This record gives sequence, structure tokens and C-alpha cells, in this order.
Amino acid sequence: MEDLVRHAIESASALGVDYAEARLHIDSGSAFTLNNGVPDPVQLARERGIAVRILVDGAMGFATTNDLSKASLGSTVEIAYRSAKASRRLIAKPIRLSEQKAEEANWETKGRKPLPGVTTEEKFRVLEEIEKNLQPDIVKVAVPSRTLILGDDITERYFANTDGTRIHGKASRVNLLYVLTVYDPGKGTIQRIGQQGQTGGWEQLEQWDPPRLVSDEAKTLGKMLTEGKQAPRKELDLVVGSEVTGIVCHESCGHPQEADRILGREAAQAGESYLKPEMIGYRVGTEAVTVVDDPTIPNSNGFYLYDEEGVKAERRILIKEGVINAFLQNRETGAELGVSSNGSARAVAYDREPMIRMANTFMLPGSYTHEELVEDVKEGVFVKTFMEWNIDDRRYNQRYVGLEAYMIEKGEVTTPVRNPILEITTPRLYGSVDAAGKEVEFEAATCGKGEPSQGAPVWHGGPSIRLRKVRLGG
Amino acid sequence: MNPEQVVEQAVKFGLKLGADEVAASMMRERRKMLRFSNNSIIVMQSWDHTVPAVYLTSKRKRAAARVGDPDFDALMDVMKTLKVAMDISKPGAVESTLPKGPFKYEAVPHTYDAKIPEMTDELTGLAEEAINAALSEGAKRSSGTLVTNEWEKFVKTSTGSEGKDRGTSIELSTRAFFDDDASGMGVSCATRLADFDPTHAAKEAAKIACQAKNPVFGDEGKFTVIFGPSIMAEFLSRVADFASAYFVDLGLSFLKEKVGQKVASEELTLVDEARMPAGINSCSFDDEGYPTRNTRIIDHGVLKTYLHSSYSVAEYGGELTGNSFFAGGTWGLTPIPLNVVVEPGDIRFEELLEEVKNGLYLTNNWYTRFQNYQTGDFSSICRDGAFRIENGRIGQPLKGLRISDNMPRILQSITSLSKERQWIKWWEVETPTYLPHIAVEGVGITRATK
Repeated sequence: MEDLVRHAIESASALGVDYAEARLHIDSGSAFTLNNGVPDPVQLARERGIAVRILVDGAMGFATTNDLSKASLGSTVEIAYRSAKASRRLIAKPIRLSEQKAEEANWETKGRKPLPGVTTEEKFRVLEEIEKNLQPDIVKVAVPSRTLILGDDITERYFANTDGTRIHGKASRVNLLYVLTVYDPGKGTIQRIGQQGQTGGWEQLEQWDPPRLVSDEAKTLGKMLTEGKQAPRKELDLVVGSEVTGIVCHESCGHPQEADRILGREAAQAGESYLKPEMIGYRVGTEAVTVVDDPTIPNSNGFYLYDEEGVKAERRILIKEGVINAFLQNRETGAELGVSSNGSARAVAYDREPMIRMANTFMLPGSYTHEELVEDVKEGVFVKTFMEWNIDDRRYNQRYVGLEAYMIEKGEVTTPVRNPILEITTPRLYGSVDAAGKEVEFEAATCGKGEPSQGAPVWHGGPSIRLRKVRLGG
Repeated sequence: MNPEQVVEQAVKFGLKLGADEVAASMMRERRKMLRFSNNSIIVMQSWDHTVPAVYLTSKRKRAAARVGDPDFDALMDVMKTLKVAMDISKPGAVESTLPKGPFKYEAVPHTYDAKIPEMTDELTGLAEEAINAALSEGAKRSSGTLVTNEWEKFVKTSTGSEGKDRGTSIELSTRAFFDDDASGMGVSCATRLADFDPTHAAKEAAKIACQAKNPVFGDEGKFTVIFGPSIMAEFLSRVADFASAYFVDLGLSFLKEKVGQKVASEELTLVDEARMPAGINSCSFDDEGYPTRNTRIIDHGVLKTYLHSSYSVAEYGGELTGNSFFAGGTWGLTPIPLNVVVEPGDIRFEELLEEVKNGLYLTNNWYTRFQNYQTGDFSSICRDGAFRIENGRIGQPLKGLRISDNMPRILQSITSLSKERQWIKWWEVETPTYLPHIAVEGVGITRATK
């Protein structure tokens, strides 16, 4: 496979390009589903293919094929070259790439229990255990809709470019998705779509303890449905759990600090940003707020050691003590903004262009215990998890609707409340944070961006945080 | 091995492995995409893919695989693994059988234009035409995506179905900016070059962007809203998805157990026109080899049917609708809508404005998320031009708005539709949708704290 990648680069070089890269993927995956206790079709996917990206006179061409014959490869290089040439006359500003050190590396996520050794029987056994733990006598509530999907995938990638970088990487990932609908005759339904995901082997799934995890979710849903009172609609203090902190960091820090959005590259799709290139140093929050994105966390869902432009991955401090500190950069935006790439280019498959993505985005912890966060809140709400959420395409106006939530009265967490709604701007949100907890937790998610769409596996998380005087409404 | 031979051999091999029934398809797509932003091309991309997919049944067990590798040895290797996994799995809820062929397929007219796949240099010219049209209309900058696609598909089943089909499409979605918070979107999509109009789409985007300049924060409350085609396409293509028996089965649809019931205003008739001449996704048969047809999903407010595969018909009853496809990822054969079409009203857009008199006109949205798919509570962010309707005319531009409502309630509260319709297909609307402007009463609007 390395020969094919090298051959593509040599073919491109012979055409007189300014830059070329080739990336070959060999991917496989499976999904096993129990839907209300009944198996859906067993599903397998396997694909391999190569992408070639070429820069000619400041214009970028990208072509892919899954026919790995030498003839097809030659034709794919030619198409990428022709595509770049065809674009040249409508380039306002030539595309350049930042200078980066040529890298040679071979990396792999090694699980204690490699995924290819896990039998189909074992996968169904896990799903059936979860299903057994969702029965009404255990969760004390009816769960009429239960969809459980256990998936795994392995991706192996070869990368080379005309700068001399040669990378071989291999990662395996396991994930669990569950959709639960809990029903009460007097109260209706409540729904939760939950996800777990990590790189590594089967041992990652085992440590989630899926039957307990999903059963606990159902019990919580039942409690919220049957005991939850209407959430207040007024200004008060709010404590949000790690899951909510994580989605906040992802949506209103990670996305607006993607340099391609800031430069307008995604304007017609995922949108732009409220931030401008010159806003490094802009205060967006209190000193309690430091948000990082780090692809190098072992076994994380967004793990990688080299990005899809062959740049070494690194931790990026996006907001430092409330101040915008850095943007997520690839080589193209790095060159335009006069900085180096910080290794943020990802592609979810061989047939997708590398683009700026988050990996694992989270707020750094503070020094508070959960009790300390709550104890001086006279009247407030603790929102532990969320369901509906969204944010405008400049990442300024956002909404989070709580799922598991409780009143805080005189410093104590008390009765469950339903559907607390926070609609707030980004500076107002980060500007309201006065304390962060000690413990950091992560949630798995799939982040959407790009055209064609690329759903990238990520983690987001952080500690519980406290927001002072925000308005709950909706 | 040519594609006909691959699907034929796949069926034979599946039967040899011991499957009761086999469906095999092979799709070849040649796609090009030119992306531009800030009036400049950022990349031109090209794909050439051949993807076989297979579906096996054995008694009440089912399995499916998508193999992004045209090598037949790779397909056989995956099928062996698939059969072993299927044998281990427990039986499904019902026993289903693939449709019994052979069927006679009638080609849908005007779905292929040989000029489209040949375009490369011409794409730059079309992008330039769109950018110049937006700038000439007053926009400051223009972004967008121009896509051409040529597809060719072969299907064969062990139950006697066999067919091949092909199509082309060309699509532009473009967004024009007058300012950071004054933007508009335009779309043109067609199966034939002659029906494609990038200038009109770009001018429409620029017109909205220029109208939207100097927006003020809107108010919260309940409003009568005229939804532009883009925003309603996002809602109603989702409703068509919710009519898929697959989503009903997953508990991700508020249309569960609603067949035969009134789920919308009498004004709404929603059709999956899989056989629409020159329809963007029109085709002759599905991946089970069953002939496509036009299916009325909602007829004057009444839910008539779910969209079905052979399995879901066995589970829910009803008739096959020709909507079963190897859809995305590894999801096997899933019922999906092809061309979502809304029957028009009988008044012009200007008359719709006069009828509403005072309310909101919202042109586009993104990021729709549901609290609960069974109840339909959701919110969605307004994007691009949003305006007050004042005395029957488009008035003050607005910003910062969010639609926070319930989808079944919105469907029940449709009051009028315009008679002009257009195709919408873009990043947020994957299923091509052909529809008018639609007025809805009592729409919940919220906004963020400043």
C-alpha cells in the first residue's frame, strides 16, 4: 500500500505541481442492533480507496477512487491536477500551505483485547444483557422503545506528501448508541439518545459496564418523567454537569475557533464565526474558563497522533483564563494567518478532504467539589444532562434544554425539574462562569461538518461549572 | 468483471453460502464538486466510486453489507463473514420475502444528460456566473457549492428481479452576504443542464441578503409565519423521513401508529414522487428490485402510508412502495423518500403576504434538534433573511430568532400555500424537495439573552 501512495506522489510530481499528497485508507466496521429485543440485520462495511490532493499555481484539486489499479491511480492524479488547473482563473488569493517539518512515523492504538478477536456471539451477548436490564421490573418504568446499536471500526491509513512526510497510522474504535423512550400513562414520554465511544480494544466497552449504564439512564428518565416539576423561567444561578459543559465547549468554543470558519471557507454550509482573525486576545469569559482541544489523549474518541496533512498532533489551548488564545489551524489557514498548523486537519474517510476539526474539546477543571459549587446557591437549577440543543451558524446564540435537572434551594439539590431551557449568547455564557469543579468527564459524540458531510468521532467534556445570574426561559 | 456480472455472481454466491434470498446492487458514481467562498474557488473535488452492496435473508434472519471495493474477491470475503454473523444472530420479528420478479421497469423521462459528466472547466464558468450575478445584485461576497453527479446502478435479486438504471444531476447552493448578519441563500438543481439556472439562484440569494441588511433583534412570542421553501423543505423532508417504517420502528417518529389519522392541516398533501419526470432522485426501481411509484404520504392532512421495504411491509402490513435502498453507512436496506413534493396552493407569494398581513417571513434555517421524536418538540435556528411582515409587505429585517415549537402542531396549523414551487436540495436538505412558500399560524419564536 505504501507503494501506491508513493506512486501517486511521484506521478503528481512529474506533472510539475507545487504540492501533492496522497492518503490511502483501508477501513472495516460492523454494527449489531437490537430493536426492542429483536435483532435488526447484521451489518458489515468494508472499503478502501485513495485520495490525491494537488496544489497548482495556488489552486487546489482533490480526487479519489476506490479502484487501486495503477491505471486508475494515474487517472485520479490527472483528474486532481486538471481540477486544480481548471480552478486557477477564479482564485482571488492563491492558496498556500504553512511550512511544516517533514515527519516519518508509524502509530497504532493497541487494545488489550483487539476488536478482530471479539466474536459475534459476544457482541450479541452484550446487547442482550443491556436489553435484560431494561425490563420494567428492574428499571421500575416502561421503556416501550429500546434501540441498542453496538458498532466497531478499524481504520488503517497511509499518508505521503511531496514535502517528504510519510505516516502510517492504525486505529480501532468501539461505540455504543442507545435510544430509549420511557413512557408513563399519566405523563407521556421522555427520550434519550446516548452514546459511548473510545479508541482501543474491547476492554474499553467492558469498562463502560453497558448493562448498568443504560439501565441507570432508563431509571433516571423514569424519575424525570414521573417526578419532574416545571422548571422555573427566570434569572437565577445555574450549575451544569460535565455533559453540558462539554457540549458548550464544543459548540461555542471549538467551532467558532476553527480558522476555516473564521476565514469564511465554510460560509455556505456550516457557517462562519463571531470571531475575526484579529480577535486573539479578546476576552470572552471569566478567568475560570480555560478550554482546550487535545487529540493526544490515549483511548479518547477523537484520538490521533498525526493529522491528515501529516502534521504532528498537539494540545491546543483555545480559551485561556477567559481570553481567546488560539484557533484550530490546518496548513492552509495557518499560511493565511501567518502561523503554523496545529495539526487540526481530519478526514473521516479516504474520499473526504482533510478539513479543520475538533478532536477532544473540554474545559480544564477548577478546585471546587460538587457540594462547594452548590452550597452558596440560594435559588438555582442543577442541569446534569441535556437533550435538544442548537446554535446559530456564527456560534453566538445557543440553546440547551436540560434532561436530568433539579432545583437548588438554599445550597442543596432538591426536586427534579423538567425541560429547563437556557438560551444565551456565547460571551454571556462564558462571562457568567464563576467556578469550575475538580472532576473532568467526557462524552462521545459525532461532530458534523463539511461538504460532503463528515461525521467525526470526538469527545467533549469538562467539570461541572457554575453560572451566575442567567435567565432560564424558552 | 462488469457490474452485471458482479451482481449476478453475488446472488449466486449468496445462495451457495446458504442464504434463502439475496439482493445485490452495484452503484457507480462519478461526482464533481466545486466549492467557492469569498468570491474565490477553494477546491474542486472529484470522486469515482464503485460500491457493491448485498442483503441476505435466512428464515427470519437478515444481514447486509456495503463493500467499497470493486474487487469481487473482497465482496465474497465479506459475504462469507456476513453469513456466519447472520447465522449466529437471533431471528427477526417477522419473516419477510423479497418482491417476486421479474418486473417491467419503465424509465423515468429526463433523468440523464450526457453533457453533465463531461464538465470540468465549465464548472469554473458556472461558478463565475453565480458569483458575478450575486455581486451585480448588490451582495458583497458569495459562497457556494456546485455539484455534478452521474450514477449508474445495477440490481439483481434471487427472486427474479434484475435491472439497470442511470441518472445525472447538477446542483448549486449559494449564499450571498451583504454583511456578516445580512445573508441569503439560493438553490438551483436539475437533472438536465437546460433546466439549471445558477444566475437565478445567485440573484435570489443576493436579493435576500440585501433586503436583510441592518437587522434588529426580533421579539419572542407566537406569530403567523410564512416559511420560505428552504426552511419548509428542511421540515417536510424530515416529515417524509419520519414516514419511513424504519424510523417508526426505531421509535424516532411522531407518526408512529398514525396511519389513517389526520396528522396535518387539510391544506397539506405530501408526496414521494419517485417517478417525477426530471426529478432529482427519480429512478425506476429500488434496491430490492421493486418498481418505484409515486406515493402519497400525507393526503389533505391524512397520513396514508409509511414508506416501506419488504421487511417493514411484513411487520406493519400495507403495500410495497419501492423505497427500499442501501442507504448511507452500513444501514442495510432502509425505506427512504426520493423526491419529496408538496402540492401547491392557488395564490401567488405576494397574495400570501397580503393574506398573512402581519407576521414573520423566514427564509432559511439550520440546526433543527428534537427533544423527543415521538412528541415532535423541537427547535431550529433561523439563518439568512428573516423579516417582519407589516401590512402585507416584507418589512424590518430581524436576527437572533429561533423556532421553538412542536412539529405535529406546525403541520396542523398550515393555513395557506403559494402556487409557485421550487426545488430545494442543499447541505441541510439531503432529500430533494419541491415545494411552495407555506404559511403557518401560532409559531413559537424564542431568542437568546443578549
